[in-house]
Amino acid sequence: MKISDASAAKKWLSKSWQEMTSARYIHDKSKISPTHLNIAFSHEGLRQLGLKEENLAAFSREFRQGMVAPHRTRLLGDSDESKPEDWIWGANQNDSIDLCLMVFGNDKTGKDDLEKDKIVCLNYYRELEAQFEENGLKQLFFIDGQTQPDNKEHFGFRDGISQPIIEGSGRVGNKDDVVKAGEFLFGYKNEFGVYPDAPLIVKGQGNLNLLSPDPRGSGLKDIGKDGTFMVMRQLDQDVNKFWSFMNENSKNPDGSINEEESLKLGAKFMGRWQNGAPITLFPDKDPGPHSDINDFGYSKFDKDGLKCPFGSHLRRANPRDNVDDHGRKISLKLSKQHRIIRRARLFGEIYEGSPTKITPKGKVGLLFICFNADISRQFEFLQYTWSNLPKNKELYNDPDPIIGVKEKPSLGEEQNFTMQDSPVNKTFKNLPRVVTVKGGGYFFFPSIIVLRYLSTI
Amino acid sequence: MKQNSITILVPILPDKVQELVDQLRDIKRNSLEGVSKDLDGLSIIHYARWVVIDNGKSWVNDNQKREPKLLFVVDYDGNEADMLTALCENSSTIIDLIYVFCTDYPALNMITTEGRVHYLTSHVIKDSAVYIGAPGRSVVQIQQEKRLRNYIREFLDASSWKGVPAQTIHEEIKSKLKASNDFTFLETEKKPMPKINYLGMFLLGLVLIVLLPFLLIWVLIVHFFYEKKDENFTRKRSQLDNDFLNDLELYEDYKNQNQFTQLVDMKVGKVRLISIKFMFVLTNFLIKFLFNQGNLMGIPTIHFAKWVMFDDNSRVLFFSNFDGSWQQYLGDFIDNSGWGLTGIFSNTKVFPKTNFLITGGAYKEEYFLAWSRNSELVTNFWYSAYPDLSIKNVNNNTRIRVQLMKKLTERQAAKFLKLL
Repeated sequence: MKISDASAAKKWLSKSWQEMTSARYIHDKSKISPTHLNIAFSHEGLRQLGLKEENLAAFSREFRQGMVAPHRTRLLGDSDESKPEDWIWGANQNDSIDLCLMVFGNDKTGKDDLEKDKIVCLNYYRELEAQFEENGLKQLFFIDGQTQPDNKEHFGFRDGISQPIIEGSGRVGNKDDVVKAGEFLFGYKNEFGVYPDAPLIVKGQGNLNLLSPDPRGSGLKDIGKDGTFMVMRQLDQDVNKFWSFMNENSKNPDGSINEEESLKLGAKFMGRWQNGAPITLFPDKDPGPHSDINDFGYSKFDKDGLKCPFGSHLRRANPRDNVDDHGRKISLKLSKQHRIIRRARLFGEIYEGSPTKITPKGKVGLLFICFNADISRQFEFLQYTWSNLPKNKELYNDPDPIIGVKEKPSLGEEQNFTMQDSPVNKTFKNLPRVVTVKGGGYFFFPSIIVLRYLSTI
Repeated sequence: MKQNSITILVPILPDKVQELVDQLRDIKRNSLEGVSKDLDGLSIIHYARWVVIDNGKSWVNDNQKREPKLLFVVDYDGNEADMLTALCENSSTIIDLIYVFCTDYPALNMITTEGRVHYLTSHVIKDSAVYIGAPGRSVVQIQQEKRLRNYIREFLDASSWKGVPAQTIHEEIKSKLKASNDFTFLETEKKPMPKINYLGMFLLGLVLIVLLPFLLIWVLIVHFFYEKKDENFTRKRSQLDNDFLNDLELYEDYKNQNQFTQLVDMKVGKVRLISIKFMFVLTNFLIKFLFNQGNLMGIPTIHFAKWVMFDDNSRVLFFSNFDGSWQQYLGDFIDNSGWGLTGIFSNTKVFPKTNFLITGGAYKEEYFLAWSRNSELVTNFWYSAYPDLSIKNVNNNTRIRVQLMKKLTERQAAKFLKLL
């Protein structure tokens, strides 16, 4: 959205913060109101709202520059068809985005029903939309963020199973997933035992009494406290290319599709079976309906990558207890320094790809959303160092097969997927780029108190 | 063949600095068909860089007037004179184009190869500690072993090996290579992997134990009489200068490898000088005995790195050639190498607050990352002989070569095949 009238928008914020989700009901989600909002601002959005230049300059460089600065584009691998010049939103040729309003609806009358939820959500959205203009907001575009009942994305794999647990949040789970709050929220110590680089108010404005002091003791007020950064990327998925490659590379001697082998190859690329079960624990076949199994590591049962290849998407993005050739303890520590909290929404026809179902109608894809306090060390590190760089572990020419492949490698550059195997490893050559970036941006996701503060600047 | 490193520091003619910077930019722009191609042709240079220093404001706001100087750093095979002669013969035009802007360079109408070599040699400054990620590996050997690995990989990919014993596959690879005639170096040159020197480590440990009481007293002196008075670095990454970061980023993250050049000033006094010299001596021993496996203080991504002191030991340079992105990666090394980095750099001005020489400092992640970036220099020209190989690849390729030539049991052969 664009802020068309800053004072009207601030007036709206001074009331609407009450409709934002809070962590208050984390223990009992049934108490969360059936409709609610989340809001995140771009750097330009904070400027439009009236934040002074000195204060705008106190945000991290990644956020200030945005996703389409040349160096960031290079790190993120947004070239060829993914180049910002072709983006439908978020790049220089598009309308500049000030804020992202996320509208949620949940039908509380019955059991889980996505259709009914959607009606609640749309009604709420229409109510809000009718008042956008008087609230000083102008909608640039909207994305109908869909979900599937079992959280499958368009290649047909269950998504979003592994999430870090914020230390002190009250959520319980595997201790290897418990990550220091400062990795996700400003104002708390991170995995290095220091406070993240939070934005501070260097030049006084607004009601500063609402804000907490900088925990580093600078005497300045912390506008980041309890907030974080949100990364959003709109990713087109080429289901046909993905499954055609799997089919082609696993076909029977007579050239026909070997469905079982194709599914297996897809799972090797991904790191989990379509139903979610990790291939490290179930190396031979999909154990069947929905698996949420997430309590596992690689170091003990899969050190050599014979079950889950080193190059697979999930092993790269979260190597758990087996980073490079480090031991378990150091690996877990390193993994925790690069975790993100992920959310995904689908767009286009809801389609569950498989070896025999490979061509959806029109464009389909996934809206990737993640939260982190240090965009450089978390999201960008995952995209560049662990996905785009082909040198993960002992690998030579293996980018992440899902999100790290280039369309046009340079002359002589190979793009392979190595499947560790006995007696010899297998190489799958000429990986296709199956995910294309079509839009994206870095947003500041303030706490509710800070939203109230922003309404006073 | 032994790898060596050289650092050459030459004053720039005061009114020619901008012309030199522009010249280096042009040389860089045309390097694929120019100097980089020349250096590729020499096959003895691993990495090289030119950096203009003291051109502008000092990062610690030091108001001492400094004359702009040109740094030339080369990591190479064999001896210095041969390398410089080869360089000056093959790239005389480039050398002249650059050094014509420097003081006392011989007149161009009468300069000879010997003249150029003599000029460069007379401006060499001494390295304090040099790390090599693949000791013993020459450029030629690295390229040969890369070719070898790719060839074996192609051979393995061409057929199915299901059920074939590892020993048989090992033997088949050997005969295939023998038949090809492209790998005769395997027979004629034996190249072992360097080994960890446990005896050396033991002796070093003994010496440290004997020295322990003195070291403890020393650290206490440093702590109570020096560290407490230090001016500390307390900026975060978000507070660094935007334009400077733009300049740095302009040269970064094009290939899988990157460079890093850093210049800091020593804290004043003998105590700091002795501390840093001791750390360099220790580092040199550790590099020799322990860090010879492609891993420097727990950092597994460095090809070549070194520290250099100059200007009467008042300033410290650090150079690194490494895989990946420094800014993204640096945090990962703090846990393992924080003590070493702190032990060295805590003796330089405006470092994040340290305690007892080796604690604090680098462990203060946010300040340390910002300090590292802030004291970095723009590298005007950078060359890498094998940008497509990681240091792990280089070492793995040697392991493949070594194991290939041995007689292996079934188990050893299975292990060998895992390297491929």
